[in-house]
Amino acid sequence: MSKQRVTRRQFLNYTLTGVGGFMAAGMLMPMVRFAVDPVLKHNAAGDYVVTKQKIDEITNEPVRVDFSFEQKDAWYTSEVTNTAWVYKDENGEIVALSPVCKHLGCTVDWNTDATHPEHFFCPCHNGLYTKDGVNVPGTPPAAPLDVYPYKDVDGYLALGKAEPRKGA
Amino acid sequence: MHRGKGMKFVGDSRVPASGRKPNIPKDYSEYPGKTEAFWPNFLLKEWLIGAVFLVGFLCLTAAHQPPLEKIADPSDTAYIPLPDWYFLFLYQLLKYSFASGPYNIIGVLVIPGLAFGALLLAPFLDRGPERRPSKRPLATGFMLLAVAGITYLTWESVAHHDWEAAKLQGQIVAEAEIDTESDGYKIFEANGCVTCHGGDLQGGAGSPPLIDTGLTPEEVAEIAKNGQGAMPAGLFQGTDEELQILAEFISTLESE
Amino acid sequence: MLNKIYDWVDERLDITPLWRDIADHEVPEHVNPAHHFSAFVYCFGGLTFFVTVIQILSGMFLTMYYVPDIKNAWESIYYLQNEVAFGQIVRGMHHWGASLVIVMMFLHTLRVFFQGAYKKPRELNWIVGVLIFFVMLALGLTGYLLPWDMKALFATKVTITIIESVPFIGEYLKILIAGHSDIIGAQTITRFFAIHVFFLPAALFALMAAHFLMIRKQGISGPL
Repeated sequence: MSKQRVTRRQFLNYTLTGVGGFMAAGMLMPMVRFAVDPVLKHNAAGDYVVTKQKIDEITNEPVRVDFSFEQKDAWYTSEVTNTAWVYKDENGEIVALSPVCKHLGCTVDWNTDATHPEHFFCPCHNGLYTKDGVNVPGTPPAAPLDVYPYKDVDGYLALGKAEPRKGA
Repeated sequence: MHRGKGMKFVGDSRVPASGRKPNIPKDYSEYPGKTEAFWPNFLLKEWLIGAVFLVGFLCLTAAHQPPLEKIADPSDTAYIPLPDWYFLFLYQLLKYSFASGPYNIIGVLVIPGLAFGALLLAPFLDRGPERRPSKRPLATGFMLLAVAGITYLTWESVAHHDWEAAKLQGQIVAEAEIDTESDGYKIFEANGCVTCHGGDLQGGAGSPPLIDTGLTPEEVAEIAKNGQGAMPAGLFQGTDEELQILAEFISTLESE
Repeated sequence: MLNKIYDWVDERLDITPLWRDIADHEVPEHVNPAHHFSAFVYCFGGLTFFVTVIQILSGMFLTMYYVPDIKNAWESIYYLQNEVAFGQIVRGMHHWGASLVIVMMFLHTLRVFFQGAYKKPRELNWIVGVLIFFVMLALGLTGYLLPWDMKALFATKVTITIIESVPFIGEYLKILIAGHSDIIGAQTITRFFAIHVFFLPAALFALMAAHFLMIRKQGISGPL
């Protein structure tokens, strides 16, 4: 025990600080939790969207699969339509590529350039990608096409969020 | 001043009933040498400068419309953004290889952090009693270096930006009523024009809108076949009749 | 009549000392452009304050039409600029004024720096001043998004990507500012609006009050 007595003034000051701290915390705690809510909210992204493409109908030839989903931004929902180029590679694995050109974001198409068959071709600046989505060096794009993760939902193809890959 | 017992107050307040400070400015003789009163002498000079400044400022606002680009469209991934001019130097810094990619952290945190930290703590870094810039070469030198660096980076950023394309990509484009059932629109879609010029024909980055072109059908057909600017030749692959319909369709598109 | 009203108030509240102190303080020769033309460098602080006042007023009036919502923000700005009388002037004042504040503040900072006016006993005032500079830059950054046009959205995307690249806390910082982990949208604009219109101005007022109190208490730095 310290011999120093707590004076009346000290005691009242400490109490004042305590009560003040309580009032500040009581006011601010709900507000701060309110403000940081998005950080703590479980991230709903990564949901898979079921497309109309049957999995056993996917061949070696890339096909265009359109799928739309409701994008929810708090109280604002909008219908967003995305496209994927889907095929099976040599090992029978399904590949789903994003059609967004990595150069300036135009939309690539499969096998439309007569001089480069079996390539993804971007009409805007003649960007080329091989079938596995890797950019052909010497053409404008600097990275391969993004890849959608996929799932099998009752025999139908379900796609997640397109993920970028490392450059060629 | 009278204090303590016997003090008279205004009613039950703490304002003394008498001996209040008279509302008289100091005599000018109280200002030694060329010192002068803030109110009204010096403030008048400041306000004169402020008035001149305000006139210039109002002329600026009247002469230059504040810029407003078209409404934000998150799906336009081709837009090349630019921050406000006073952040350009930071934006430019991130383009250099020593401050981007794996060294991103240097450009994002280390360099700006050191610079702003040094600015914030300047009084504690430069502690000598000297105030003249020439007598504190380190402080002066670093500040001149920083100003030169900011100026150079801003300059580089401005010089390397494609202002023509920037103007085009954000333009507010007039909307037109488009008949998506017409033969012209179907040909437009079938030939992939839609990927660059958009389903509403409003264009995108590097591709102009096709509304209000002011071109004749012949000119449109010519561009569709042979390309123009960034558009390569040979994109149109339909028959001559289809080309004719497409050209008619585009050349008649006008905004309301 | 006015004098009578003044005396009536002064008798009850003793307001004379409050404002005579501000009015009667003396302005030394070396800051007075009438005596030394080079003293014009002392104007930059005052002009910064002047433009700040313009910013506050024009901002207050802009909120009479502006809606911080992704569907209506752009529409409301387009409307107030093109349909409302003097819309171009009021929005122009706020838009160009934002740049002018930065310019004036930069010049003011350089003046104080090169004169070594931040030295003892004015260290605290310098720190408060640099904090005001930060707040102003943050106001510029948050205000850039509010029109919700193309450059607003995409410049903010870049900003948010930069924030995200901060190690460890970047991801959380990003969501805290953008309001969503991968959409820059409805929640981002309301957040930026709240920060731009309430949080930062509150900080700015507090800092400016401290700045001016310290100037009055310490007086202006002496001649070199």
